[in-house]
Amino acid sequence: MIKLENIERRYISDEVETTALLDVNLAVASGEFLAIMGPSGCGKSTLLNTLGTIDRPTSGQYWFGDTDLAAMGEKDLAKFRAAELGFVFQSFNLIDELTIQENVALGLAYRKDVAGNKAERVAAAMDTVGIAHRARHFPHQLSGGQQQRAAIARAIVGQPKLILADEPTGNLDTANGEQVMNILTALNDDGATIVMVTHSPSHADMAKRRIDMLDGRIVASAMRAI
Amino acid sequence: MNRFALLSLYRSLTRHKLYAALNIGGLAVGIAVFLVLGLYVRFETSYETWLPHYDEVYLVQTDSRVPDQPFSGRHHWTMGGLLEQLREDFPGIVGTRIEPMGASIIQDGVAVNEDLKRADDTFFDVFDLPMAAGEGRRALADPGNVLISQSVAERFFGSSDTAIGQTMTATIDHETRSVRVAGVFVDLPPNSELEFTMLTRLPDDADSPWWSNWGSTSLQTFLRFSNREDARQFEAATNAFVNRRATDNYEAPASDQIGINLLPIADWHLTPEGREPDSRRQSVATLGIVGLLTLLIAIVNYVNLATSRAALRAREVAMRKVLGADRAALIRQFLTEAIATVAIAGLLALIIVELTLPFINAAGGLELSIAYLGGDGVVVPLILLSLVIGLIAGAYPAFLLSRYPAASVLASAKAPGGGRAGTRTRQALVAVQFALAIAFMIGTAVLFAQTQHLRDSDLGFDREGLLLVRSMYLLDDEAQRRAVQSRLEALPSVRFASMSDGVVGGGTSTNVDSFAEGGSPPISMRRIAIGPAFFETYGTRLLAGRYLDAQHGMDDATSLEWEEPQNVVINTLLMRSLGYSDPAEAIGKQIGRGAPPRTIVGVVNDMRFLSPREPVDPTYYTYYEEPKYGVMTLRFTGDPRVTTERAREAWTSVAGEIPFEAETGTESLQEFYEDDERATRLFAIGAGLAVLIGMVGLWGLASFNTARRVKEIGIRKSLGASATDIVKLLVGQFMRPVLIANIIAWPLAYWAMRTWLAGFDDRIELSPVHFIGASLIAIAIAVLTVLGQSLRASRTAPSWALRHD
Ligand SMILES: Nc1ncnc2c1ncn2[C@@H]1O[C@H](COP(=O)(O)OP(=O)(O)OP(=O)(O)O)[C@@H](O)[C@H]1O
Ligand SMILES: [Mg+2]
Repeated sequence: MIKLENIERRYISDEVETTALLDVNLAVASGEFLAIMGPSGCGKSTLLNTLGTIDRPTSGQYWFGDTDLAAMGEKDLAKFRAAELGFVFQSFNLIDELTIQENVALGLAYRKDVAGNKAERVAAAMDTVGIAHRARHFPHQLSGGQQQRAAIARAIVGQPKLILADEPTGNLDTANGEQVMNILTALNDDGATIVMVTHSPSHADMAKRRIDMLDGRIVASAMRAI
Repeated sequence: MNRFALLSLYRSLTRHKLYAALNIGGLAVGIAVFLVLGLYVRFETSYETWLPHYDEVYLVQTDSRVPDQPFSGRHHWTMGGLLEQLREDFPGIVGTRIEPMGASIIQDGVAVNEDLKRADDTFFDVFDLPMAAGEGRRALADPGNVLISQSVAERFFGSSDTAIGQTMTATIDHETRSVRVAGVFVDLPPNSELEFTMLTRLPDDADSPWWSNWGSTSLQTFLRFSNREDARQFEAATNAFVNRRATDNYEAPASDQIGINLLPIADWHLTPEGREPDSRRQSVATLGIVGLLTLLIAIVNYVNLATSRAALRAREVAMRKVLGADRAALIRQFLTEAIATVAIAGLLALIIVELTLPFINAAGGLELSIAYLGGDGVVVPLILLSLVIGLIAGAYPAFLLSRYPAASVLASAKAPGGGRAGTRTRQALVAVQFALAIAFMIGTAVLFAQTQHLRDSDLGFDREGLLLVRSMYLLDDEAQRRAVQSRLEALPSVRFASMSDGVVGGGTSTNVDSFAEGGSPPISMRRIAIGPAFFETYGTRLLAGRYLDAQHGMDDATSLEWEEPQNVVINTLLMRSLGYSDPAEAIGKQIGRGAPPRTIVGVVNDMRFLSPREPVDPTYYTYYEEPKYGVMTLRFTGDPRVTTERAREAWTSVAGEIPFEAETGTESLQEFYEDDERATRLFAIGAGLAVLIGMVGLWGLASFNTARRVKEIGIRKSLGASATDIVKLLVGQFMRPVLIANIIAWPLAYWAMRTWLAGFDDRIELSPVHFIGASLIAIAIAVLTVLGQSLRASRTAPSWALRHD
């Protein structure tokens, strides 16, 4: 489904050049659950952001199905994100002024193609992650685990083909972390493609495939034995 | 304030330079507008308060109690002999009369006009006029003496001291004689209605036929009562006095038709006369309100920005608490910061006022000046203002932020903005601010449209190309007057010339005839005496009949008695009040209504000679083949300055010893417009600055909001929001308050402007264009103000925005 070819990402600031990604080649098949691991600063988030088109590579090819995303304009990319992607962040990134329900509904707000009853889909998504009873609360009224589940609901409400999760359990305790992982696994079982960055080897083990990164390069790739 | 607090203030000001400049600058401009308009209001309300014991002095008003007449209402003038009658009936009463006279002083063969007034020798019992040299009280006993102002003394004699005992050659009331300078008084300040540069003794004029004619208004009478109670008692006795005294000119009881009232001289300046609308007090109140509202906008703005900025510092506060700062210390820090910042704005405001006051004085025709210390000083109020604004602006961060539990602030991913309630409050404040700004803009548009209308409106004659030679009344010698007249008529640029006692801007006398017949209410009409070519000079339109001339018998009133039949021309207003709808219908009819036989031979259009605020009176014109009194109006072509110069030369060649006074028609109308035009200009300046401050506030708030929402923008973009969606979101959040602002502004402006326009007889209609235009401008301003930042924010890379904290 996804193919990255020779992706390179350099940051140039104040005449200091950082290479965050170098010669990255990666293919992700439909239905995969991929974990990305590696030491801090090795370029995991950059890779994920590149996959999510919220960061543009300095050079390289990015194919999503038959579409060449590298050649797409900002406007079409925004449309693409709204339709095909779901994001989950380490720090949840819910909007403080909006209720949980409204935050989740935001996942459909920019979908011009979705007709019909949006409220039903929002309710269904909240049900899936088990936060329906907190619909009218504001993010700061919820625990970290609940906030992250809300963020997942927002990511899946549009039924995206690809879910990108950057350390989704990084800010959570073990129990909450397990819960989030179980949700992600269930989503993957239902057919969603997931790419997840994590520092936890046990969480990485729950994925079907794992890649390791070092200094902007992919250094190893392993399949989980089933 | 300790070293760290100062350091922290300095850092927070320099770190966000543009923000600090706008925030402090906006407040400074607001305070400056408030100060300038406050100075204006203070000036306008301070008339005569410079005079020692001003609160004991009263102006006697003549109250014409018959309604709906040109003379109805209270006037600042009385008949000449009123004081004598008062002295007989109220023994021991202290009073003086003041009669404006004017004088021409002849020095080295050139005549110069001075504002001479004549007063009783009791003048100094009423007015404690400060003297610079000589003795005032004794000087007025001798009619051969004059008192002059310091600047007149300096102009003629070099100094006040050298002036004493000197003589001047003066023409006063048609009589040229030598007068002795017996005293020099301190120049009257600009905030005085007394307005004289010379003072001399009022002669006993009891033989003048008008002297004791009740209802006549030839001079001003002032009384002094040592306490309010005496004044009140006197006023209570005036009706009985009038009933006793005014029996010759009025049917009993006279007090139903005429009365006298006391007006404290401090109220003199702002009190309208007769049927004049209360426009001066209205302008002063309006401009005072504009000043207050502008200050309010600036304060709201400042507090809004300061508190929203402070919210961004919640994390700093939490950290300081973690590090052990106690609440009191934090409160102190924030309050000191806020007060110091406002004080800087106050200082800046003073600088702005000092720098702009000359221009404002020029624009408003004012003589405002700023005093720092003392009773009128601005320093003390400014310090108080800084304290108050500083406390309000500092209170939110000081008390609220310092109360926030540190843990929750540090745990939150985002700076607290006061939540929904905070957003609501800020939006409400933006709405209020914009409502005022829009109302100000509508007001400015209507004010300008009205003043422009007054400049262009059809007065019933062509206001350009008229020259009024007002000094004709000074020509006593018949032959000389004729010579001047024929010289003026013969000037090459002069097409018509005519004498009349009524001219544009007001003539030499105002005559109103009131006729009543049977039980019907009296009908009043203005009578204007005109000479040959009057209508041709003004360019009046003849609607029916003919003009008056010497060829028709009974046209020329020169040798006709009042009761004898005469022909007259009337205007359309009189035609209508006589009950004719068609001019032709009125021709050949009598005025009737108990008037002596007056046959209407012509109907002309209405001409507005006086204030646009007052209605034009029903008028009839009587004809004199050779008028002896009045003003000469010249209709000329070409440059007014050329004609004025030629006229002056012609005058001087015949009557060099008599000062030449002339003004163009537009100049003479100016006095009716200048108060309103000045108020309009001041209003526009205040309103413009208020709008500017509102813009600055909106800009600051938008930048605050955008800064606070950077991360949200990133989130939304990751969810698929396009740049257009982001711009819509950021601009849209200000559209609601701005739209609500219109709903508040429209009725407010509609009511205010209708009230103001009601003060004009000649006025424009309120048009939706003013309202829609102002709103569109406000919306455009709001969009443009926030658009730049929104565009920039919408273009930020989401991956960067998501890292933002
Ligand atoms: N906007 C930026 N400007 C400059 N350098 C950047 C920027 N964003 C990331 N980098 C650099 O790129 C490299 C990779 O960063 P990235 O955020 O992808 O690391 P990471 O693997 O996600 O680390 P972590 O596990 O700590 O989240 C780092 O060296 C980082 O300093
Ligand atoms: Mg990372």
